[in-house]
Amino acid sequence: MKKTLVAGALGLLLPAIGLAGEYNLTVDRVEIDTGEFVKEGVGYNGKSPGPTLRFKEGEEVSINVTNNLDEMTSIHWHGLILPFEQDGVPGISFPGIKPGETFTYKFPITQSGTYWFHSHSGFQEPEGAFGSIIIEPEGREPFRYDREYVVQLTDKHPHSSERVMRNLKVTPDYYNREQQTVGEFFSGVSENGFLNTVKDRLAWGDMRMMKADVEDLQGFTGMINGKGPKQNWTGIFEPGERIRLRFINSSAMTYFDVRIPGLNMTVVQADGNNVQPINVDEFRIGVAETYDVIVRPKDEQAYTIFAESMGRTGYARATLAPEEGMDAPVPGLREPARLTMADMGGMPGMDHGDMPGMDHGDMGGENAMADMSEMDHSQMSGMDHSSMQMPEGGASDPFYAKGSGLVPKAANGGKFLSYADLKAQKPLYEEREPTREIELRLTGNMERYTWSINGVKYEDADAIRLKYGERVRFKFVNETMMTHPMHLHGMWSILDVGAGQWNPVKHTVSVQPGTTVYMETEVDAPGQWAFHCHLTYHMAAGMFRKVIVEGGPDSTQAASSEQFGNVGGGV
Amino acid sequence: MSLAKFAVAAVAMSVSLTALGAGTHGGGHGHSAKSGEPGKASDASRSVTVEMYDNYYEPEAIEVKPGETVRFVVQNKGQLVHEFNIGTPDMHEAHQKEMMMMVEHGVIQGGKLNHDMMEMDMGNGQSMKHDDPNSVLLEPGESQEVVWTFSEKGNIEFACNVPGHYEAGMYGEVNFN
Repeated sequence: MKKTLVAGALGLLLPAIGLAGEYNLTVDRVEIDTGEFVKEGVGYNGKSPGPTLRFKEGEEVSINVTNNLDEMTSIHWHGLILPFEQDGVPGISFPGIKPGETFTYKFPITQSGTYWFHSHSGFQEPEGAFGSIIIEPEGREPFRYDREYVVQLTDKHPHSSERVMRNLKVTPDYYNREQQTVGEFFSGVSENGFLNTVKDRLAWGDMRMMKADVEDLQGFTGMINGKGPKQNWTGIFEPGERIRLRFINSSAMTYFDVRIPGLNMTVVQADGNNVQPINVDEFRIGVAETYDVIVRPKDEQAYTIFAESMGRTGYARATLAPEEGMDAPVPGLREPARLTMADMGGMPGMDHGDMPGMDHGDMGGENAMADMSEMDHSQMSGMDHSSMQMPEGGASDPFYAKGSGLVPKAANGGKFLSYADLKAQKPLYEEREPTREIELRLTGNMERYTWSINGVKYEDADAIRLKYGERVRFKFVNETMMTHPMHLHGMWSILDVGAGQWNPVKHTVSVQPGTTVYMETEVDAPGQWAFHCHLTYHMAAGMFRKVIVEGGPDSTQAASSEQFGNVGGGV
Repeated sequence: MSLAKFAVAAVAMSVSLTALGAGTHGGGHGHSAKSGEPGKASDASRSVTVEMYDNYYEPEAIEVKPGETVRFVVQNKGQLVHEFNIGTPDMHEAHQKEMMMMVEHGVIQGGKLNHDMMEMDMGNGQSMKHDDPNSVLLEPGESQEVVWTFSEKGNIEFACNVPGHYEAGMYGEVNFN
């Protein structure tokens, strides 16, 4: 133990003689078989997903990336804290990797946890160009387990990503099968009255959104570790073991609700940072997020890992079993969630006062808040509820608009993880007042499939300029009807869940429709960085910014060169 | 409370705990369900210091002889509330439900215990006092003793049943030899 510490300390002082590892990745055309269809894609070392890279905290890594494609490529190390030139975003960190070229990334590993890597060029990532990263900590972890598996999710679409983008641009509801029908309109009339129903529809029309836009890309096959539901990726265990599952959502567009019927899950890490353990029955994983959970199957039986898309249009499925070939029942898809009027609470010009007769209590039978009254409090008579934490199983979540149709509920009626439950296991930064606030309105026009920040898309926008050493409070105001997983490169996103110094530290923060979410960032990384919605087609449409950090501890100041070339995401 | 009265109360507690353990065990291994009983400090053959961190123990295993009385000096060196509880896995599982209630009602709040809330009458003569003799629940920086007489060989663990902690691996083995 002492020896390791000494080695670690030396490694920090003299990187040249510290732990050093060399890794090789090739970027290749690959074939992806989902079990439903076979498609050409992009992978690493001949496969999609690519390998799991295992690093050790304190290590100095060299990663040789050879581009075997006939187009430019790049690799972004999602969630890793590193010098900006190594961050892998063409046009911001470096020019990109030319066909036939080998580029060597070199950076120190200064953190631990579960992360992933992916291409930041064109649509290579949704085409399969991603893999996982596991970083072992220098010291012991604040939990124990007997074995571990990466569970990497994706949403594989039969259409090429270029074609999907074209279709969305021409017909934004091209992949939206869940639109309201005339029949539903008339059933709305009988339930809510003609005037209210018409007003509701008019309001939705004003927003240029289709009422069922929970997911704008449907028709995909959910995959886990490269296997479709029929191919059933299986992780082996011995009953009684604690298993650490490292969930990574590498989807282009899909949020998944994850559960393992028959098993309680203890969430111990989010986005690579340890959180105070929280027992849940189900959790929602946003695009680009990671969650590590510990499960302990005690019985000699198979368990299904079931990841249902947020809009209930598709699923990924895998199995934990004592032996290969065993399986457990696969649940059916639940009723699709429907957005409610509450989900457009953030829309500008939406004055609810103009809608007489709008009774929020009428907003559909699936109105989540109504279910609060069904909670059984009989066991808690005489209790003072004023100091209660989030009620277990109650379908309310401060990170969703009040009355939102998106509030998740656990399939078994149990506990569904909320951002509000996430508390840092150990604060990473000292708490201090932010030096300033920056408001970022998440904006879009669904009818033209344009996505932007503050109404301006990337190519027309100025960079966001931050000063080294400041602590910035970002205020996200979601004025669209879609959930946006916002990812800031290079610096941590301290999500404000109201827990002060225990606020969790993330790399990707989901902002639900009609909500305002705050996060703070210690501006401690000089250079220029990408900041964007991680939904592939939103990023490509312009929901993206360059962040320039001015100043720095030494000469590592940002190069002011504006462009190296075309930025990632096909913009 | 006199020492004698305390002992009687403590024994009564341990009886109920034992019954609970045996009841949920399904009679599978018979004798293994009992974890022992509160001991007298004067009978303790030795003292073992157990340090609680976020979220693990040091040490993570201890060796005892059947019938041995051990004085545990339990120190919370972490930043969160932790428990030291001696019992069978089934007893821990049952206790985890009670601890969940303590979190839901704001008794355990990260690094703090709400002592007023613990005293409150919850109806049916129940409270959330957490005063069983086989365990201590400590705030960061606190230290307390547990004197325990191990009865016989069995599947005994010391564990922290603060929600999520045991599940994440905050337990230690009691090995009999």
